[in-house]
Amino acid sequence: MTETMLALIAEELARIAADKGETLPPVGPDTRFLGGDLPIDSLDLATLLVVLEQRTGQDPFRAGFIQFTTVGELAALYRLDAPTGAA
Amino acid sequence: MTEPPPPWIDPSVRLIEGDAHFGWPDIARMADALEATFRNAAEMATVRGDRASTVVAALVAAERAKVPLFLKRHGSKPGAPVAEDATPASPGFSVLLETSGTTGAPKRARHGFDRLRGRLRGTADPHARWLLTFDPASFAGLQVILTALASGATLVSTPGASTAELAGAAVRHAVTHISATPSFWRAFLMALGTSGPALAAVTLGGEAVDQPLLDRLAARFPNATLRHIYASTEAGALFAVTDGRVGFPASWLDTGVDGVGLRLSDGVLEVRSPRAMLGYAGGNSADSDWFSTGDVVEVRGDRALFAGRLDGRVNVGGVKVSPEAVEQLLLGVPGVQDALVRAAANPITGHILTATVVPAPGALEADVRAAIREAVADLPPAARPRAITLADHIPLGSAGKKKREGAA
Repeated sequence: MTETMLALIAEELARIAADKGETLPPVGPDTRFLGGDLPIDSLDLATLLVVLEQRTGQDPFRAGFIQFTTVGELAALYRLDAPTGAA
Repeated sequence: MTEPPPPWIDPSVRLIEGDAHFGWPDIARMADALEATFRNAAEMATVRGDRASTVVAALVAAERAKVPLFLKRHGSKPGAPVAEDATPASPGFSVLLETSGTTGAPKRARHGFDRLRGRLRGTADPHARWLLTFDPASFAGLQVILTALASGATLVSTPGASTAELAGAAVRHAVTHISATPSFWRAFLMALGTSGPALAAVTLGGEAVDQPLLDRLAARFPNATLRHIYASTEAGALFAVTDGRVGFPASWLDTGVDGVGLRLSDGVLEVRSPRAMLGYAGGNSADSDWFSTGDVVEVRGDRALFAGRLDGRVNVGGVKVSPEAVEQLLLGVPGVQDALVRAAANPITGHILTATVVPAPGALEADVRAAIREAVADLPPAARPRAITLADHIPLGSAGKKKREGAA
């Protein structure tokens, strides 16, 4: 199921990057959101979290912030078998 | 021979700006050059305040030339309308700042220099190494710059840098003091990973803080003093909370704090501050009486907690934006029949704006999205609706009004 989440995160990151005219490098579990190679800023990351909530119906941060640095760490915060809904 | 610095600059101050280093002699040379220009300025001197070194030199020069100094924000567009642009000649040295971005025309707020310096903290530590996370020409940025100058500390800045680049600079230059928005701190913690500087002072301001963030900062920087500051461009720096809890002690509503009077009027925080600005440029003086902050405050037990803005504006990474104003803009976009702009809570920037858009009959999705992208390109990034959903109708609340409450 984390595989599904990884794919979903990669898909939405690509969409956010494309909106800015940027191309996304390959995204894997160890890819860092900020401070790495991704052409995104904190507003883009905020957008990703809002869209993930729209698509999964889950907000892992409801009770407060949980530290994450990489794509894999974020994916592990969501529990689902398949994404629902559409952006 | 270099002239001695003014009393508000300790001669041992160091500015590190990207790869460049500036000491007082360098700043003095820049100030000399600016002073000649400023003395010929008709009403006020204007500089682009995008570098700390420029801002400091301009402050020195404007004080010597006894002229008002307008620090332009690098984000402001050339030729953009400025509210109350007919700035009257107001003799003597004062500082004009552009209020932080909303969707409206920027306003200039005039500050007396002494009052701008009225709440400096940490002025006793010449070994401090500050990281500048704010725009140098912003109210918060000036507070950090003036603090470093007064104490002879080191100020590290990287003009135009991302949060990740600032995190790199913080590690590289062994920064000890950081003042930043809660949104910056969240992104900064992520960018640092497990490495990071050993901070002695962690300051938060510009947005309401949340308890989990305060707790994480306390755990991540166990030797740092932790405080959150409440300030506004209009009312000046008001108070600092140092007990590690969100909001502020409710008893301050009766007693005031540090010379600042606090009271609630219909749930909205009003303040009376000796450090209020002198007034909006061209407007009436605002410094004599109670001033409404527009911040809604709820008292729970012994604590006063911030609960959003009276005018419906929301905080996006430290920038106050109006969902209504952005919605009005979208409603004017060709191919848009109806639109709803809402604030969506998130743990990175506090909020972002999201939009639900109903296309006009026959309008193609790609065309509508392109038209929206073009229409919002002039807004500050924080005010642009980020997640845009197309729908066939806008859900209405029981009163028949659009439901604007945050999605989370």
